[in-house]
Amino acid sequence: MKEPKIGVYICWCGTNISHMVDVKAITEEIGDMPNIKVSRNYKYMCSDPGQDLIISDIKKHKLNRIVVAACSPRIHELTFRKAIENAGLNPYLFEMANIREQVSWVHTDIEAATEKAKSLVIAAISKVTHHEELERRTVDINPATLIIGGGITGMTAALDIAESGFKVYLIERDNKLGGVVSKVDLTFPYMSSAQQLIKSLINKVSNNKNIEVFFNTKIKEINGYVGNFETKLKLQKKARELKFGNMILATGLKPTDPESIHEIGYGRLPDVVTALEFEQMLIKGNIKTKAGKEPNNILIVHCVGSRNEKYNPYCSRTCCMTALKYSNQIRSALPKTSIYHAYSDMRAFGKGCEEFYSQTGRKNAVFLMYDQKNDIPTLRRAGKNDRCNIIAHMYEKLSGEDIEIPADIVILMISMEAHENVKQVAHAAGVSICSNGFFMEKHPKLDPIATTTDGVYIAGTCQSPKDIPDSVSQARAAAARILTSISVGKVEIELTTAVVNEDICGACHTCINVCPYSAISFDEEKKVSVVNEVICKGCGTCSSACPTGAISARHFTDKQILSQIEGLLAVSNKLSEKLEMEEV
Amino acid sequence: MNSSNNNNKPKLKMAVYWGSACGGCCVSILDVHEALFDVIANADLVFWPIALDTKYKDVEAMPNGFIDITLFNGAIRNSENEHMALLLREKSKLLIAYGSCAHLGGIPGLGNFHNRKEIFERVYETSESTVNPDGIMPQTNYAALEGNLNLPEFYDTVKTLDQVVCVDYYMPGCPPQTERLLEVFMAVVNGSELPQKKSVIGAWDKTQCDECDRVKTDNKLVKKFNRPFEIDDDLTTCFLEQGVICLGPATRGGCGYRCIKGNAPCRGCYGPTPDITDPGAKMMSAIGTLIDANKPEEIAEIVDQIVDPAGTFYRYSLPASILRRKLI
Repeated sequence: MKEPKIGVYICWCGTNISHMVDVKAITEEIGDMPNIKVSRNYKYMCSDPGQDLIISDIKKHKLNRIVVAACSPRIHELTFRKAIENAGLNPYLFEMANIREQVSWVHTDIEAATEKAKSLVIAAISKVTHHEELERRTVDINPATLIIGGGITGMTAALDIAESGFKVYLIERDNKLGGVVSKVDLTFPYMSSAQQLIKSLINKVSNNKNIEVFFNTKIKEINGYVGNFETKLKLQKKARELKFGNMILATGLKPTDPESIHEIGYGRLPDVVTALEFEQMLIKGNIKTKAGKEPNNILIVHCVGSRNEKYNPYCSRTCCMTALKYSNQIRSALPKTSIYHAYSDMRAFGKGCEEFYSQTGRKNAVFLMYDQKNDIPTLRRAGKNDRCNIIAHMYEKLSGEDIEIPADIVILMISMEAHENVKQVAHAAGVSICSNGFFMEKHPKLDPIATTTDGVYIAGTCQSPKDIPDSVSQARAAAARILTSISVGKVEIELTTAVVNEDICGACHTCINVCPYSAISFDEEKKVSVVNEVICKGCGTCSSACPTGAISARHFTDKQILSQIEGLLAVSNKLSEKLEMEEV
Repeated sequence: MNSSNNNNKPKLKMAVYWGSACGGCCVSILDVHEALFDVIANADLVFWPIALDTKYKDVEAMPNGFIDITLFNGAIRNSENEHMALLLREKSKLLIAYGSCAHLGGIPGLGNFHNRKEIFERVYETSESTVNPDGIMPQTNYAALEGNLNLPEFYDTVKTLDQVVCVDYYMPGCPPQTERLLEVFMAVVNGSELPQKKSVIGAWDKTQCDECDRVKTDNKLVKKFNRPFEIDDDLTTCFLEQGVICLGPATRGGCGYRCIKGNAPCRGCYGPTPDITDPGAKMMSAIGTLIDANKPEEIAEIVDQIVDPAGTFYRYSLPASILRRKLI
């Protein structure tokens, strides 16, 4: 290793950092440390003049290691890596210390915050001293795309990609396209026909030569990595191998099983129906009880299975507006029928939705509020003398009274859950599942379409409950991301991968099973583990599990991390020594 | 022991000393059997309390650097161990940490899970076989009628040899394999190029698993951790796959996987491979991957089956680990 010549740059971030951290004092103190050739502070390190400062110092002082203490590396690590690369230095000879999110924004004592910032900077210096140069690598992108799920999301994305001239393989587990939207009559809030919407999409997909649809097909296993995935399909007549560069998971939703919610009486009482069953009545234009009578009273129960720790803690987002849609459709079809909404909160956040709510409220429907956390309405069969089929009992929160509601039909606004095949697809595609069972996005705010596996995107209700416009937006966003990658043609792959030292590997096989990306295999000839560096994400699981130290995670080696920890402790040790001295 | 060698090369001067040790390392040197003739043909043993009547003052009288090789076995537990380590360092050209205790702290190093007070209380008061109604405890000074008697001071913390003095090489093992000792000895005698200072000698870079002929598969999932007597060992399957904790994956080869050959799991005396700082932590991480459960409660239940985890994973390496000792 060449003698380290380290440049340290401490950012004020305007006043964001400098109001809580004495950046000048740290700059001075760090400047006296061994191997530090340059130590500076500046108002905005990420600005062009800030970056130029680093670039000119690298050239002038022949710096070979850079530390920037500023904001989170999530925000500006790439910015500084690029600047360093522009100066002719390998971008991995760089380390960032986060003294904004982890220091100035979360502390109130200037002296202690400064001390903590200093220890983070020293830790970064200790780590960067052991950094090694890593070389960039790229792979070609296969322009074909695999889309799993032939609902509105999958079809929209397929069309965007196919109409740009690229091949799409569309996988549908059912024997027809359309998904849940094809089972819906009208859409909210503009009451346009869902059937027209979806039928025209199905036509376009079926007639597009770039789209190949596979019906009654499930994906068992996907191999490869961004740009070069492959899968084998078992079709009825023969097997088929597909190769593709990217994929979109659009596996959609599953309504919660209403029988699992005991209070609600589904299955026990014939005229208790789910929203999707009611849609069928609407499509057929035939709102009747099981006995064939026109209903005098219809009760719509909101939030069935949603927003309740016993079932699903989340909000399913579409049910409130769908319930209002039913209110409107029932009012048009059956002007004399009484409509009751048993709701817990009305959520009308979408475009045109609040307006839709106030219009519907004027159309003669009764809104009764129940306590979602403690008191879901209970349903029982009406008695012989009651002039209705079902009686619902609930505590009406606004009036504070226990009430009974007569109903001939009860519509359950069932929650949305992720599709039951989500686990299998997640495993095949190498993506994670969140605590609610939906696919996990790469970043909840900044990258909700991508996943932690490059080349795998998620869109629609498999990511979280959402309505048609949101699903379509995600579909088109995912398609746009893929078209970008196809047009670039190459993709840079992760350099911070695991690597096996064959001289040490003792063939214990521990690493092979722990790899979440199936990137490790065993070389029977050499009797050592082998990491496929294209598939490896550098998560470090194998290197921590490896008992021999043969596997190390590049850029996060034990040596680098331990020296980082030593750097951190160097300051706190001094601090505790000082405190002990004072006590004495 | 002044016998002459055939080719009239000057004979090496060699010393063997024990710190906090069981004596097994010294015995392992005697275990060279008839090869002892080769040893004494090429070396004069100038200091070796277990075998020769030599005194401290004989060592003190030697000029600095007088001894060519000192094999120091045992950890540093008390002031006498420390004093002799410093003295022998001064008098020796090559100081070799010989055996697990000098190398990593060894079995005596497990004392670092306690301190002097706790150890004394156990040994001199509460142990079942102790009768000490007057509560007499060891002291460093005692004014006897004949004069002052001194005993070494017993330290709170056991240290490895290199935590006290600069060490040239390490020879691991409890005790080191005698063949390895001969190889190292003959290499020095024959003037072979010595490896880089501070490195481990007389052991391989690869682990026990590399030599071990038990069958290893990817199917390393266990629902229960067993002690060796609790399984009906099939004599061919990897111990870990039978739920028995074997430290082979985190331990250097070089002993010829003798324990495993004897159908006992490796206990880790040969220490870690070159890049490992803390073999106990490494082995615990690896063991974590074996547990066939996903629920925290179930995992805890399985982990609880490991009897004495600290003593199992750090049996030979506590003083040399990142942990070093329990907080006093």
